[in-house]
Amino acid sequence: MSNSAANTVKKPVSVKKVILRVLLYFVVLDVCVITLYPYFAMLCTALKNRVEIFSGNTILPVTALWSNFIEIWSRAPMARYLLNSVLIAGGSTVIAMLCGIPAAYALARMKFKGQTAFLGFVIVSQMFAPVVLLIGIYQVMQVLGLTDSILGLIFINAAFNQAFTIWLLRGTFIGISAEMEQAATIDGCNRVQAMMRVLLPVAAPGIVTTLIFIFINAWNEYTVALCLISTDTLKPLTVGINTFNGYNMIEWQYLFAASIFAIIPVVILFMCIEKNLVSGLASGGVKG
Amino acid sequence: MSKATAPKAVSTTKKDPYSGKRVLRKVEPYIWIAPSVILMAIFILIPIISVFRMALNNVSKTGQLKGFNNFANFTKILKTPAFAMVLKNTLVWTIVVVVLSTVLGFMLALVLNNKFRGRKIARAIVVFPWATTLVIQASAWGFIINKDYGTLNTLLMKLRIISEPVNWTPTPEAYFGWEIACGIFVTIPFVTFCVLSGLQSIDGSYYEAATVDGATYWQKLFKITLPLVKSSLTVSTVLNIIYVFNSFPIIWTMTKGDPANRTDTLVTYLYKLAFYNGRQGEAAAVSVIGFLILLICASVYMIYTLRKGDGDL
Repeated sequence: MSNSAANTVKKPVSVKKVILRVLLYFVVLDVCVITLYPYFAMLCTALKNRVEIFSGNTILPVTALWSNFIEIWSRAPMARYLLNSVLIAGGSTVIAMLCGIPAAYALARMKFKGQTAFLGFVIVSQMFAPVVLLIGIYQVMQVLGLTDSILGLIFINAAFNQAFTIWLLRGTFIGISAEMEQAATIDGCNRVQAMMRVLLPVAAPGIVTTLIFIFINAWNEYTVALCLISTDTLKPLTVGINTFNGYNMIEWQYLFAASIFAIIPVVILFMCIEKNLVSGLASGGVKG
Repeated sequence: MSKATAPKAVSTTKKDPYSGKRVLRKVEPYIWIAPSVILMAIFILIPIISVFRMALNNVSKTGQLKGFNNFANFTKILKTPAFAMVLKNTLVWTIVVVVLSTVLGFMLALVLNNKFRGRKIARAIVVFPWATTLVIQASAWGFIINKDYGTLNTLLMKLRIISEPVNWTPTPEAYFGWEIACGIFVTIPFVTFCVLSGLQSIDGSYYEAATVDGATYWQKLFKITLPLVKSSLTVSTVLNIIYVFNSFPIIWTMTKGDPANRTDTLVTYLYKLAFYNGRQGEAAAVSVIGFLILLICASVYMIYTLRKGDGDL
């Protein structure tokens, strides 16, 4: 009662507030429309036939050709590309986590000589995007016999995501008090057990965030795959979809239909972690 | 006797594992970081070393080193007429994309930090460009602005804003401008979410106190908000400088740096040098130059912000 009374008293003053509100919705709506526009254009184009696309007269397809989404599977080894993307992203994630968790744990819980040097190298390694090092990477891969192989891409993606993995996980681990682990050690656990049984379950949200983030990065990686992979059946989706982007003509409807398959899983994953990821970034940064 | 020896025995048996434990203690952290170090050493450090070595040596087409050549790769690159343009493009690309996406991303974060209906949906939508791989984003924009059948022309004609198709990319510079716009479009979400995380950690009582003291919106923005999200902004700006500088897929998908290097940046230029022209030594020199530029930018920025941070303390 008293609340509603207060509201009715306040209302006359808030004309300015109403205008601001309208303005706010206007801006938000604009941003959303512009952001979604490329996706809308892609979806519409994916549902048109070639003649309609190249005439450039329609926005929405005259008749929605859902068959385009089926045809891409026979026109290119899409299933293979999809499988390769899953293998590359999954494999990179596993290796990056297996190497990154212990390293982040050591950085968060132990003091040792060379700690700052190690952290420094981790940060500097961020400055070298794979594309700048491609020539060097190519040579290493030749020595290891990993050019044109999915395993090679897995290692590269895992290595270049180490910085993020360590950065995010270290922030998460530092944020968790070490007391419980110490108690577990007194109860007779060794360090590995203490970490596995006590720390990791508590750190699960941060670990899942990191995991998904690496998966997305590796899934979206393009440049190294473009350079290292020459066999068509070993290509990930990001490189493979360019089959439809030929030298003579681009088959936009198939290119975008295939693109949508590459986008959807990532967008869903990203929306799951968006909130945790950013706080993880910030905490890792402040404490670094 | 037995009473005297018993504690001794205990102490000696205790001493041995103790010193063993001390050695273990010292070595243990290195065992924990070993997998990560090995992974990064093989796939990042060795490529770095090999790029630097190639930059300083004559390199055959197959990648064999043919001896130190007194920085000939560097002088050759610096004398190439196209290189000055590529360098200029790279700086324009990096500065414009980073500055504009930081400003716009910051503003968007302020908007999204308000409480309103559908805020969750709006935030989810804003994440889209961040999650989409750059190749796809770039080909979508390439399609949209196509002068013959792009959807931007169709849309504007249906809305009666233009009466006939506009050629959005009459010059290479115009094309480069669209590439920059695309770069900004995909970079904004990262800045927005970094700033949002900073905004959410600000204690609301600061604003209440300021309002009581009669502070205006702008005073609150510059005196409270900006200083408190500075660390988030620093993180996002430093990372963005690195990512945007090294960004390859947008330009590669839209123009491949053509015509005649007019839309090339350092990374597309070096890719072509190394894998199309077989001039690996020169490509390595371009890599090294790029790295040095980044190192200078990043360290200047770090030192500047660290010093300011010390002042605050």
